[in-house]
Amino acid sequence: MTATPAGTASTLVIAPMLVVLVAAAGTLLLGRHPRARTAVSLAGGAGYAIAVAAIDWYIVLGPDAPGIATYQVGDLPAPFGITLVADGLSAFMLTMVAILGIASLVFSTRHLPGGEGRSYYFPLFHFLALGVTGAFLTGDLFNLFVWFEVMLMASYVFVAYSGGPQHTRAAFWYVTLNLLASAVFLLGVGGIYATTGTLNMADLAQRLAEPAAYGLEPVPVVGLLGLLLSVFAIKAGLVPFQFWIPTAYRAAPPQITALLAGATKKVGIYAIIRLSFTIFAGAEVAVDLPLPLVDVAITGDSPLPFVGAALFVMAAGSILLGGIGAVGRDSMEGVFAYSSIGQVGFIAIPVAIATTAAGPELRTFAIIAALVYALNHTLAKGLLFLAVGTVRSATGTSRFADLGGLAKRSPPLALAVFVGSLALVGIPPLSGFFGKFLVFDAAARAGSGPVLVLLLVGSLLTIAYATRLWNRSFWGARTDAVEAATVDPVQVAILVGLAVAIIAVGVGFEPVYEFAETAAEAALDTEGYVDAVDPQTASELAGSNGGGH
Amino acid sequence: MTGIVLAAAIGTLFALGTFLLLRRDLIRVVWGLAIISQAANVYLLAMGGIAPATAESVPILAGHGEHVPETADPLVQALVLTAIVIGFGMTAFALVLSYRVYEEHDTLDVTELGESE
Repeated sequence: MTATPAGTASTLVIAPMLVVLVAAAGTLLLGRHPRARTAVSLAGGAGYAIAVAAIDWYIVLGPDAPGIATYQVGDLPAPFGITLVADGLSAFMLTMVAILGIASLVFSTRHLPGGEGRSYYFPLFHFLALGVTGAFLTGDLFNLFVWFEVMLMASYVFVAYSGGPQHTRAAFWYVTLNLLASAVFLLGVGGIYATTGTLNMADLAQRLAEPAAYGLEPVPVVGLLGLLLSVFAIKAGLVPFQFWIPTAYRAAPPQITALLAGATKKVGIYAIIRLSFTIFAGAEVAVDLPLPLVDVAITGDSPLPFVGAALFVMAAGSILLGGIGAVGRDSMEGVFAYSSIGQVGFIAIPVAIATTAAGPELRTFAIIAALVYALNHTLAKGLLFLAVGTVRSATGTSRFADLGGLAKRSPPLALAVFVGSLALVGIPPLSGFFGKFLVFDAAARAGSGPVLVLLLVGSLLTIAYATRLWNRSFWGARTDAVEAATVDPVQVAILVGLAVAIIAVGVGFEPVYEFAETAAEAALDTEGYVDAVDPQTASELAGSNGGGH
Repeated sequence: MTGIVLAAAIGTLFALGTFLLLRRDLIRVVWGLAIISQAANVYLLAMGGIAPATAESVPILAGHGEHVPETADPLVQALVLTAIVIGFGMTAFALVLSYRVYEEHDTLDVTELGESE
């Protein structure tokens, strides 16, 4: 691999970001022309899907694919410029976001929340996608911070979008929490720069693997990684940072909540996986943290055991709190918001197993389990939140007290929600079955009895709240609101499309598993990542420039 | 000496920001956020360290050759500029949002807002 791999693969890396940026600017300019605005928006969505598919095929999955490609912004070699990296892990995440993003975008063109006058809806939508995409592709820690901010800024407006008392209040809490998180992120970034002298992720991995050769004292990195982990846990909504989720998810328009749950949450998960495994797994740091209260000592020669211990506790809390919280809610989006806290716990458990895994085989397997579960959560929760949008635009409400008998009123809608709920529960042959199966299998292979019990309790809670939701809104006597409802056929078609995708992932699971396997291997392949980015030293750079200027 | 002064300044800023963040008045909360993000910026700047300047580390010194005793890492300054711009935008947004909250709820008291659900 050369220092600046020219050609298609390299240019492809930046393609999805450029497409969304153009779409965002275009929709901003065409704000006063609803038809043109919608057309540009849809074209942007299609272009994004094509760009992501091209990355999947030409960089990751195709027969001649290199597996990883980099784009050095402004042709400045790493670590001096900003590096964008597309590998299996990024491609897997981008594919999830593309599928859900298209569904949510088409849904939005059918039912623009707040009416046609809201000319800033689509630009914000694309900026949200831009932030998520940038976070998946960047290979620079500070740049990750910037993409987080791009993503958050759009999501702030969406939480406050409806403008009512509860929306502005939810938005204020959300903004306050995330501004604090941003400050903590900056502290982590600054500390890591002071400790290692670089912010390029590949360079960081390289330096931390041989701290002595670079004259570093890497011990502070463990604590700094803890700071960053808490920021990512806020984005992912893991306990004890889950409290913003129910209010924010209820306040945002449902089709945006689908994206918040399906895409921005996954950014938190992605950042945890990327930093813990690709970057910090090889760090030569002796960790010895005795916890006398619970009679456990966290020891190891990399920061991973520390990450793992924290993740286990957070994931266990999330599964229990999310599940129990979801059982008692009185509206559809309330149930799904709490459910999403619990489901992220199910994604974090295998990640935690991977950090403490004895061998590379179990580590790869556990990450595959996490990724497959994340894919299932994105599809299923995306479908269910869009269904909330459909129910709300048809009946004007999503409270259980006003709903009932929806199943007979619109059988296709009921069928789609049924498939989505079953995918959450994990019934074969849906995508959720394999997600749950792999997570259970990873826990069994790790030989952890308490984790298996926890997963079982979490699954039972899932069955309880899914059943309750179904009974309260889809069965029973029709209420007045349901009687007067007019269900939009295109919205239902989108839901059915996602339901078909959930079934397709379950039936044709083999290629999905292979993709997840490629992604997991990429996440663990620190050497390949460093080689592809190829961070230069100042002396190498001077040499290649013929002695400098 | 510079190090101690910087550390004390950062500590004071974080303490002040946290204090304001815990007030009942929403505007004070916004001020607290602004001060905390500025404290993070100062911290980031301090993380570059302060070292004797040479023509190699600071390009602008290359053509002059006069002795400059100490200078900071230019990279963190570039990072801080980005962070300041983002922080400025967010503070403005938070202020506008707190006005909208006031319009909707007729109060800026955090406790009363919490009870209004």
